[in-house]
Amino acid sequence: MSIKHKLTSIRMLLLTMLVIVTCGSVSAQTVTGKVTSSRDGAALAGATVLVQGTNTGAFTDENGEYTVNVSGDGVLIFRYVGHETLEEAVNGRSTINVTLQASEKTLDEVVVTGYGTQKAKEVTSAITSVKAEDFNGGNVNDPSQLLQGKVAGLAISRPGGNPNGGFNIRLRGLSTVGANTQPLIIIDGVPGADLSTVDPQDIASVDVLKDGSASAIYGTRGASGVILITTKKGIAGNANIDYNGYAAFESIDRVVDVLTADEYRNFGGGTDLGESTDWFDEITRTGLSNVHNVSLSGGTAQTSYRVSLNYRNIQGVAINTGFDQLNGRINLSQKALNDKLTIDLNLASTQRNSDFGFDQAFRYATIYNPTAPVRSTDPEFDQYDGYFQQVLFDYYNPVAILEQNTNEAKRKQIIANIRGTYELAEGLNFSMFYSQQRQNTIGGVYWDKNSFLTGADRNGLATRRSDDQFFQLFESTLNYNNTFGALNLDLLAGYSYQDFLNEGFGATGGDFLTDAFQFNSLGDAGDFNNGLGSVFSYKNSEKLIAFFGRVQGNIDDTYYFSASLRREGSSRFGTENQWGLFPGISAGVVLSNLFTVEGLDFMKLRAGYGVTGNRPNQSYISLLSFGQVGNFFFNGEFVPSYGPTGTNVNPDLKWETKSDISVGLDFSMMGYRLNGTIDFYQTTTNDLILPFTVPVPPNLTNTTIVNIGELTNSGLEFSLTYDAVDNDGFKWTPGINGTYYLGTNLVSLSNEDFNFGGFRLISNLGSPGQNNTPLVRVEEGASLGQLWGLTYEGINDDGTWRFTDLNGDGQINDEDESVIGNGLPVFQLGFNNTFQFGNFDLNFFFRGVFGHEMVNTFRAFYEAPSTISSYNILATSSDIAELTDSPRFSSLHVEDASFLKLDNATLGYTIPLAGDASFRKIRLYVAGQNLLTFTGYTGVDPEVRFQDGADPLAPGIDRRNTYFRSRTITVGVNLGLQ
Amino acid sequence: MTNQSCTNLDEEIFSEVLAEDFFQSDEEFISALGSAYTSLYGYMDGRMLSVQEVASDAVVVPTRGQDWDDGGHWRRLHQHLYTADDPEAGNAWSFCYSGINACNRLLFQFEQSGNADAAGFISELKVLRAMYYYWLLDVFGNVPIVERFDVPADFAPATTPRAEVYTFIETEVLDNIDALTKSVDGSVYARVHYYVAQALLAKLYLNAEVYTGTPQWDKALDAINEIVNSGIYDLEDNYFDNFKTENSASRENIFVIPYDQVFAGGFNIVARTLHYGSQATFNLTFQPWNGFCTVQEFYNSFDSLTDRRADMFIVGPQFAADGVTRVDDSGAEADDFDGTPLTFTPSINELGPNARRQAGARIGKYEFALGATNNLSNDFPVYRYGDILLMKAEVLWRQNPGSTEALDLVNEIRARAGAPEFATLDADLLLAERGREMAFETHRRTDLIRFGKYNDAWWEKDASDPTKNIFPIPRGQIDANKNLTQNPGY
Repeated sequence: MSIKHKLTSIRMLLLTMLVIVTCGSVSAQTVTGKVTSSRDGAALAGATVLVQGTNTGAFTDENGEYTVNVSGDGVLIFRYVGHETLEEAVNGRSTINVTLQASEKTLDEVVVTGYGTQKAKEVTSAITSVKAEDFNGGNVNDPSQLLQGKVAGLAISRPGGNPNGGFNIRLRGLSTVGANTQPLIIIDGVPGADLSTVDPQDIASVDVLKDGSASAIYGTRGASGVILITTKKGIAGNANIDYNGYAAFESIDRVVDVLTADEYRNFGGGTDLGESTDWFDEITRTGLSNVHNVSLSGGTAQTSYRVSLNYRNIQGVAINTGFDQLNGRINLSQKALNDKLTIDLNLASTQRNSDFGFDQAFRYATIYNPTAPVRSTDPEFDQYDGYFQQVLFDYYNPVAILEQNTNEAKRKQIIANIRGTYELAEGLNFSMFYSQQRQNTIGGVYWDKNSFLTGADRNGLATRRSDDQFFQLFESTLNYNNTFGALNLDLLAGYSYQDFLNEGFGATGGDFLTDAFQFNSLGDAGDFNNGLGSVFSYKNSEKLIAFFGRVQGNIDDTYYFSASLRREGSSRFGTENQWGLFPGISAGVVLSNLFTVEGLDFMKLRAGYGVTGNRPNQSYISLLSFGQVGNFFFNGEFVPSYGPTGTNVNPDLKWETKSDISVGLDFSMMGYRLNGTIDFYQTTTNDLILPFTVPVPPNLTNTTIVNIGELTNSGLEFSLTYDAVDNDGFKWTPGINGTYYLGTNLVSLSNEDFNFGGFRLISNLGSPGQNNTPLVRVEEGASLGQLWGLTYEGINDDGTWRFTDLNGDGQINDEDESVIGNGLPVFQLGFNNTFQFGNFDLNFFFRGVFGHEMVNTFRAFYEAPSTISSYNILATSSDIAELTDSPRFSSLHVEDASFLKLDNATLGYTIPLAGDASFRKIRLYVAGQNLLTFTGYTGVDPEVRFQDGADPLAPGIDRRNTYFRSRTITVGVNLGLQ
Repeated sequence: MTNQSCTNLDEEIFSEVLAEDFFQSDEEFISALGSAYTSLYGYMDGRMLSVQEVASDAVVVPTRGQDWDDGGHWRRLHQHLYTADDPEAGNAWSFCYSGINACNRLLFQFEQSGNADAAGFISELKVLRAMYYYWLLDVFGNVPIVERFDVPADFAPATTPRAEVYTFIETEVLDNIDALTKSVDGSVYARVHYYVAQALLAKLYLNAEVYTGTPQWDKALDAINEIVNSGIYDLEDNYFDNFKTENSASRENIFVIPYDQVFAGGFNIVARTLHYGSQATFNLTFQPWNGFCTVQEFYNSFDSLTDRRADMFIVGPQFAADGVTRVDDSGAEADDFDGTPLTFTPSINELGPNARRQAGARIGKYEFALGATNNLSNDFPVYRYGDILLMKAEVLWRQNPGSTEALDLVNEIRARAGAPEFATLDADLLLAERGREMAFETHRRTDLIRFGKYNDAWWEKDASDPTKNIFPIPRGQIDANKNLTQNPGY
């Protein structure tokens, strides 16, 4: 029992005695008084003074003074946002002055940093911590979804509603183009752990290390930021059982706006096949998903545990897509040797069966003739299992694609960690950590013997592949913490070893007697006899080794500093360049401890500098290896021919390094009701690791992976939370965060050996008919993401395109192309509102991204009215109805894709329970995702396309295989048993 | 965790074999030698086909509405408006230099190995390399010559003038030709031997005036006669036996690229030329792309009544593989002559943007086997005896316009096709005959230039400037190597 508790007990005892003594003389009286804050003694205006057990009460005036009528034995409840609530018995007094204890809750929150934790007020780098209660709600199947829009500077994007699709995560814009653009994920201390090994329901908090001074401790892989995920742990005390479950209904929110059958008939030029088919309806459904999570947790002073089981059955909006997943997790902590030794154990396993479907179906649903039937009994179509098909270039019945064929995978993951921490002396801890993750995926694709897209031409076509990815991590750290007078020091030294092994094999073969085998009996494929079958296998490895150290300190809780250094080596470089050095340094000063500003409760200025690195995405760049390069006709037969494979060897390749400067200000105002952070960052990346086109000759192939060029990137971030209202029974907490991207600038892509040549045009629009039509200009000394092309002016009288003749030479050609947009956003906003009224809770969250443009490739291909002769066209074709020319990309197809979404809204009701009920908690809720979208973009989804395929140099292209955008309604329950 | 692995960052390899661990057995040497030849497989995958044929008066790739616009580069190729950014020149460049690189690397590695057997391959590799340089000489004119593999990484070779490239090729072939085998059997099929080297010399000398300003008819005749007088080669009775799927037995094959649907892919003219619906005609395992077809004037240069070679065009109504069912083109334009049933018409309404999808006679010279993939198994004749005979006729005619031997040789070729004999020869007749005999075998552009016709106006093409007789050095190469000089006119 704490001292405070003891006092309260004594006071209650006295109070009880007083009540007994004075019980005969109870009468109403007027009480006056003043409410002040413990922080600086200032009067609190607008504080609530409530008479316990009644609805009567008063607010304090601007001087903090109040008057209230209360019986002499009554109790007053004093409440003010940002302060602890105080109950005060009247005891017949007529004047009651109280001082409310200011809560510094947010400043005392634990923030997870690399290899340790700090209190929020001690942090000197740009780190944002998001706790479970602030996560996005609804049907969340990927941990990154929890954070979407919640963290300034963190952009999380998944165009369309593909249940099996991954999220593109980008922190503080782009700082690398050839290496990894996604932040390093660290789950319970394991760098590089796979996000899918952890169920969103099991996550306690996510901490985002945004600047180099924080992430330099992770050296080589911290350049794109670090996201630390901490799973929920057991807490000493009663055993708890929790159940969380929900059902979700996912439906199409938006598809490409094409002509309906009637519109198609009226438009003219198309072939009327007599039916009316909505192809989007045909390939979609309302996806019904259900998710269940059960967890058991509890513990004693020595042992704590949490065990959970998660089941997800998710249906995609496209027919025959979705997954089901079973995930189990055990987190165990045991103390021994007089509490000097702590063993932590995590074990997690995930099994997931996915049905991917075929994204091509979306493209063909867009262009398929709306007057065509889905199926036909005409014997002509027996060869296609009765699905209607027509012979046109790149034109296939989308229903047939999804229904006839199979594309699935089974993935098994297991991750096991064990950590032992021993307290060698007071404040001196030694820790050893071992972790292993294995992931095995076995996939299969089968194209039916009667599938027109492919399959029929191969008499059935099956692919099977298995991939096994393994890594193990060993880390050992020594930590010392002590206070010397006003100085508190925290020292860390460590060693880290991680190796990776990837291996797999697969085979593809066609020519089957029957569809019955699917991909399960590849030996029956005739193609392995006629030579058309193919098999492969591979195996590769990588090692990362690091030594690191850090000093963190604080003087008088006013001056904070941190300095870290990591020396890391990767086997992917040539022997001379394997090791890199990555320092990080930061400092902060609590200004509010040095001088007092009216209304300001807390203010800390901090600044940091850090260097982080990137390694190449592949192994063996420094070795000249041979592989099969086709077959050679020798002596009347083909023999395999061997030669160098892949890119040119580069033993001189070294680390790509990013240095960044970050300056930030954390503040609390209005009695800790308003908390905010402002950050500025500027990064410079040098020696970018890039596949570079090199002259042939003298090089073997035209690509070498080189260190080249410089990229800079800067931005401004802010976040604010405000305890706007906190009255009895009603609470409103708005929060807002924003990121202003000041620009990503490609300073140079040349060095003394290789010249980029000023600019290059990349990202071909493609077939049909628009090959050799680059959409993006990559220019040295200019900002990244330039969309490039002719400027549309209108349509000539003869029905041809009219473009701006920029150079005025009377001709329209490449030289009239210019920048017609930028694919990267300028501003990003998250606006959250949490309400609590009585037992109800309501949360709604707006998310917006502004200033990015997008190439709407659907329009670039299918808007020109002349294409109707073969394909369905977009409804917007009527805007250019007089055009007779063939489709040609121009500024007409580049659209402003700024958007604001009501991303997420949740309404919950917590059933009030008697204290002795067997339930600790019963909460029912309904949630909606993607409820409203405000945008001028006419395509399916205005979410930022950060890269084109895997190329981050070409953002802003909405390709035709985009999954439809969906909307989800979720109904769920949270149960707590005790 | 052993001490050794504490800081050990050596790469462990599994599914790779390092160059330094290769060359352990004879099989490995042969496999390595193969990589100089496998580069050839890109030849008909657009690499040389496009620059040599689409830029000529024989082949055109019209823009058919939505299809084959591709930024206009196919139209520019036909109209001789090509630029350093257009892809076809870049493809041809990369094709040639990847072959040259493979040769250089193997020459270096074979010399390093000190293996006696490996030495036998060196002359073969040098002549093969000369063949790649010959194509560069013909297409780009002025190109950098790189002979060594062990050059520094920042080595940036300068452009060599066309006449010096010519001399380099001549010297390389002459220095090595005597080391090549004259015994032509299955063991050297699709490989460089003595007569392949002579054919290369014959091509080089035949066009010497274009390349250097000085004709070399005598030298050309010597090289041609080495082949003709060897007695190894002869005309096939049936012209099309040279182009059928199983054509490796043809006595006209001097040097072929041994395409194969399984082992040596890349011969995809079947996909480039046929209509989507033609899949049903040949039971193809893929849908063709409906691009390449022939220019009507070129089609008309064949007398379809007498000249059996006219069968190389696919025209008229198209049937499914059963020969009875008409193939439907469900995407036919409203103004197509024959509407929905697929019918190829020799006339093409326009170069673009709205050429009809059924327009244009299709290239059916190379047999499309039933059930073919888009990698044909027909071996592609780079040097063919029929060509050698016409080259001999041309050289004799150029030396003496009244040469009866020249006339006889041309008539021998014509007779094989069933075409009536010529009474006399002139430049137009010779060029037209080469056009008919050698159509779509990647000689047309070179022939037009040698006969001074390449810059003429033809269908949908204005007269072009002589600077267009060589292609621009691709911009990517110029950007990457500051010592390269762009060809004039670009």
